[in-house]
Amino acid sequence: MKNLNSLLAGIFLAVAFPFGTLVISSQIQLGPLGPAPAEEGGPLFPSREPGLAIQGRAVYVSLGCVSCHTQQVRPAGQGSDIARGYGVRASVARDYVLQKPVLLGERRIGPDLANYGARTKDLAVVHTAIKHDGQFTFLYTGAKQEVPSGRAVALAAYLQSLRQDYSSPEAKLKK
Amino acid sequence: MTQENRSDRPQGRPPEGDSRLTRTESQLRGPFLLFFISAVIWLLAASVLGVIAALEQGSLAGGPFRDCEMLTYGHIAAAQHNLFVYGWGFNAFFALNLWLLSQLGRFELRNGWLATLGGVFWNLALTYGVVLIFAGNQTGFSLLEFPREVGPVLAVAFLLAGFWPIVAFARRPTGHTFASQWFVVAASFAFPLTYLLAQLLILWQPASGVVQAIAHSWFVSNLLLLWFGASALAAVYYFLPKVLDRTISGYYLAPVAFWSFVLFAGWTGPAALIGAPVPLWLQSVGVVAGAMLIIPAIITAINFHGTLSSEGGWSRAWNDTTLRFVSFGAVSFTVFGVLNAVFSFRGYNAVTRFTSFAAGQEQLLTYAFASMVLFGATYFVLPRLTGSLWPSAKLVHVHFWSTALGAVASIVALLVGGWENGKQLADASVSFQQIAKSTTAWNTVLSVSAVLLLVGHIAFALNAFGMILKSSAPASAGRHD
Repeated sequence: MKNLNSLLAGIFLAVAFPFGTLVISSQIQLGPLGPAPAEEGGPLFPSREPGLAIQGRAVYVSLGCVSCHTQQVRPAGQGSDIARGYGVRASVARDYVLQKPVLLGERRIGPDLANYGARTKDLAVVHTAIKHDGQFTFLYTGAKQEVPSGRAVALAAYLQSLRQDYSSPEAKLKK
Repeated sequence: MTQENRSDRPQGRPPEGDSRLTRTESQLRGPFLLFFISAVIWLLAASVLGVIAALEQGSLAGGPFRDCEMLTYGHIAAAQHNLFVYGWGFNAFFALNLWLLSQLGRFELRNGWLATLGGVFWNLALTYGVVLIFAGNQTGFSLLEFPREVGPVLAVAFLLAGFWPIVAFARRPTGHTFASQWFVVAASFAFPLTYLLAQLLILWQPASGVVQAIAHSWFVSNLLLLWFGASALAAVYYFLPKVLDRTISGYYLAPVAFWSFVLFAGWTGPAALIGAPVPLWLQSVGVVAGAMLIIPAIITAINFHGTLSSEGGWSRAWNDTTLRFVSFGAVSFTVFGVLNAVFSFRGYNAVTRFTSFAAGQEQLLTYAFASMVLFGATYFVLPRLTGSLWPSAKLVHVHFWSTALGAVASIVALLVGGWENGKQLADASVSFQQIAKSTTAWNTVLSVSAVLLLVGHIAFALNAFGMILKSSAPASAGRHD
């Protein structure tokens, strides 16, 4: 404690050891994950996002949507995520391997969006939801804010691309 | 300040101070005031944004700026959070940590211009980052929202502005060390490491998939505990015995408090990811580490409350401005430690997850503990550096009561409101609209407490700036040649 070097060494280890164990080892464990078929020969999931959805993700990030919306479904028994219809199964790490950045979120001031695309097929409903009863009307033009701007179109495409309703090797859906 | 004074100093007690401006202090006056004034300006800005954010959250469907893109909740909340943490928390602790370790190590800051330069860089980078958040350029990771080019500038600025306490520790004339020194050295060394690694793995070379979220949780826990927590603990260890003029009771336990705090803090991050799509063992590690933090919480409780409990310490603390704030903070830290241990557990966490509960815990640590300690420290340090008295006792009272009430009200609203909200979320038959309706009352409390905090901070700023303006210190003796 009286020696600066041993004090600094102790603090360094206290920072570096958790970093190595928590972060680096999960990178080793999860880093190689990629899209994979649930059964041999099946389709690869998660599938690549369309370009418009990638643009929409940038809109989502820029507006700070992540401060009110999560994108993760907890396993049954922890909260009511599945009972609420946020998803048909719990989210797994593989679902996120193509997402840059990963937007798991920390608050649910609004509903979870991990499976928004799977539960909302109607584009008009998506645009109504984006407007939040008149909060995000700057994304729309026209007399009644009925014409979506390019950003609103991209955002809607992104929201509709959000889905975890497929089987993956770690989380198979019951047939 | 004589030689024999050094060797006779009892354990658990900082060295005696000089009531006049010492040479040590006069040399750090310039950088100190730069950090402090920027801190208070950012605190005011953050409190104004806090009021707007609370109002917007209270009326999801509208709010005062419903159709203004720049002022959407996602922008306001991010800017407020960053200004409070990097603007207020960092600048204020740059100032206090520098003063504290200069005092304890009799360190004369000869290259003060480097610290000043660091402060200028820090605040310019911060301004740039916040402007970009409002312009819609943010990253989506809380407390790392600034676009990635801001990160390296902040890191370099930190090394220039925040590394001096370690130099002061290295150059101290005696072998003896005091608890405050360990905690400040830990804070000043751990933050830049954490920040650079997090920047690298989240923004520059993003790790794959959810590993980003894991790295982020590790970063946030380190930032909150090892910067805010450790720095504020250092201040409590200094001011309690200093102002009460007695030794810390059970001081021999302090090294255990220090090492257990530093060792467990870094593992607590994944507790914020319970139920998330990350490996289960990670979540368990986070839970265990959160529970283990009870050890430093108990030891610091013995140290602080033991010191305050003997010989009418509490009533003396109540009648002394510095100690009133500092002991408020000390009690808050104990509450934080207990809550953190209990609510790490999976069963409770499943309820409080995704609610305002985590924000309440953070407010407890960064505001009720760290900020209140900072306020108390300011009431001690600023008169020494400026050579004048606080202009208004009334404003001090306004400051204490509005911040204390505002802190308690907001924390209760975030914690209890978060718990109720979580209970409803756990019941799938309660719709989201119903939940939003039932949180209205708590949102009103939050709005009122945000206004209270703003009022308190205005009173504090008026008093502090009035004092700095009228100070006659430049003429004082011992000023750097």
